[in-house]
Amino acid sequence: MIRVTNLIKNANGTPILRGVSFAVQPQTVTGIIGASGSGKTTLLRCLNGLERIDGGSIECADVRLESNLPKQVYARRVTDLRRKVGTVFQHLYLFPHLTVLGNIIEAPTHVQRVPRKQAENEAYQLLESVGLKEKARRYPERLSGGEQQRVAIARALAMHPDLLMFDEPTSALDPKRSAALRSLLRGFVERGHTMVIVSHSIGFLEGLADNLLYLEQGEVVEQGPAEQLLNSPQDPRTKDFVAQAK
Amino acid sequence: MSALQPMRRSIITSILLTLLCAVGVQAQKTLRWGADPSGGAPYVFNDPNHPDQYIGYEKEMVDALAAAMGRQPEFVPSDWETLVSALRRKSFDVIVNGLEPTADRQKQIQFSKPYYIFQLALTVRSDEQQIHSLSDCKNRVVGTLGNTAASRLLQKEGIPMKAYADPPTAYEDLKLGRIDAVIMDVPAEVFYVSKDPKVKRACEPFFRGTYNIGLRKGDDELKTEVDAAIDKIVNDGSLEQILRKWGLWNDAQVELQTKNKAGEPPQSESAGYDITSISFNWREAIWRLTRAAFVTVLIAFGSMAIAVVLGMPLAIGQWKGPRPIQWLCTIYVEFFRGTPVLVQLLFLYFGLPTIGLAMPGWLTALIGLGLNYAAYESQVYRAALAAIPRGQWEASYLLGMSPLLAFRRIILPQAFRIALPPMTNDFVSLFKDTSVAYAISVWELATAYRELANASGQFLLLGVAVSIFYLIMSLPMAHLARRLERRLQRTEAVEAVESEVV
Repeated sequence: MIRVTNLIKNANGTPILRGVSFAVQPQTVTGIIGASGSGKTTLLRCLNGLERIDGGSIECADVRLESNLPKQVYARRVTDLRRKVGTVFQHLYLFPHLTVLGNIIEAPTHVQRVPRKQAENEAYQLLESVGLKEKARRYPERLSGGEQQRVAIARALAMHPDLLMFDEPTSALDPKRSAALRSLLRGFVERGHTMVIVSHSIGFLEGLADNLLYLEQGEVVEQGPAEQLLNSPQDPRTKDFVAQAK
Repeated sequence: MSALQPMRRSIITSILLTLLCAVGVQAQKTLRWGADPSGGAPYVFNDPNHPDQYIGYEKEMVDALAAAMGRQPEFVPSDWETLVSALRRKSFDVIVNGLEPTADRQKQIQFSKPYYIFQLALTVRSDEQQIHSLSDCKNRVVGTLGNTAASRLLQKEGIPMKAYADPPTAYEDLKLGRIDAVIMDVPAEVFYVSKDPKVKRACEPFFRGTYNIGLRKGDDELKTEVDAAIDKIVNDGSLEQILRKWGLWNDAQVELQTKNKAGEPPQSESAGYDITSISFNWREAIWRLTRAAFVTVLIAFGSMAIAVVLGMPLAIGQWKGPRPIQWLCTIYVEFFRGTPVLVQLLFLYFGLPTIGLAMPGWLTALIGLGLNYAAYESQVYRAALAAIPRGQWEASYLLGMSPLLAFRRIILPQAFRIALPPMTNDFVSLFKDTSVAYAISVWELATAYRELANASGQFLLLGVAVSIFYLIMSLPMAHLARRLERRLQRTEAVEAVESEVV
């Protein structure tokens, strides 16, 4: 599904990602963990094309991004890539001037040119699956943080992405809401979605992620099946991080 | 050496006079006289060679009169339209500004005996073939000064008129083809265009009115003094000398002065002379105000439309454009914000015709104010656009939107809500700024009030009428803006109620 090879990203001359390589299999959940400043969010922003990569390559559902592509070719491929990838930001960035329903059907009707009626029907189905059907006509600011997040998930899913990416999904949620989100996401995985979740919360990923990737200072320290990485980490740095997080 | 002497003497005299005045005002009384020096040649105007001094035939005449009265003349620069009310407010003691003793004015002030007989001259472009008299102007637009014998004559004859604040502007517009003829008192016509090859007299001067000195009612002693002084300067020939010097001596003056010398009693002014009079007509005044209000609305809405539309490319150019575009937009914005809108309008009105682009006044005002306010709107937009978080753009891109689509559907609607209150503000101030169009002779509401009120002295009642006109226009706009703001938030409000119920 995704193959990242030797990915390098610099910001103002400082290396942020120093040769990251990993792969994501379809219908799995991959968690990217690491301390603040380890490059997790930057990695995600490279995967959805918000940051241009400075070295290596990203292959995602037959779209290939390489650092040495000409600007226009790169931009075109990023457009292709975004059709396959849905993103839920840490700060969500719902559109405040549109209702919940408006947020969800905006891109389908204006980018994919789906007829409005059909887009609305699909949106209602999505809202039902996240438990917000009765709030379709509300504006985002009248919803709680957890509800807003579910709207953002529905908005991303409305574009039928092959891959769904989350940046720090639990940062604004209390433990109870975290658990609710985890079971919601598990449901999506069972229905065949592929996910990449960036989080510093090991507790949230435990039992949800199939594979984990531990990032420190822009390098992959360790990666492997979640159970193995959490219970018997090989690298002492991973061991430290897991021990502290638990 | 000898050439210097008179000058030195005059300096000493003036120092002595100043001292004398300082020692005791009683020692020599002043004669404070009011007139409008702007575009006021040849009556009284700024000496082009010594711009801090005033010259003119009436200036010289007042000097002679004051000398005859044993008073010290003191000139109070004023405004033509407000002369009568300024006299009544005691800003000065007499008006000497080629004032015609009309019936309307006689209700408010009194007049001395006449000192000059004026005629009217009709001026047309040199290549004009059709106009040979005033009656040929029935379907043409004729320019003149507001509230003068000429303007009243045009009104009486039902000839379309355009009122100007000073003669040069009117003659300039005639040469540019914005109007077809100018009618003006002979002194002004002689001074400004008698040597101009681009224009000519359409016919011999006609009409015969008098210039008199205006005084407050009740100042009868001063009137006697002034009348005596006029007799004196007529009899000793000093007035003739002054008029000859300015090229204003003619047969009509001979007639006036002969009568005077013969000691004929100061006659009721109507005898032998024409007096223009248009008595104040409320119905007509309201009609004129309505037309002026229409012009105001036209300019305000037209220029706001230009500003709202043009502001957007300016804002985007300055915000996201390539370097040279950013610079150009910044130069535009700083130019229009940094110079007075009055200067911009004058430039557009008088400057552009030199490159062959002569627009009518209302259109100039509409475009000028539009260009000016576009600079302000662009800054409102820029601030509003910059206030939208970058995440809104990124979220749009990740949903597959192009920058244009993201801008149109996501960024612009949010920015619009932020921009709406300052835009409403700007519109209100633009609405009031339409009054600068007066400078380029556009007859809008503020100008109309000034002219009508000064012509009639009905400052209070006309003020109320004009205020009502402004309110009729501005209240719906404020209401509309509020409704628009509310509409943008209504769904949210309904929502809030709903969620409280739940």
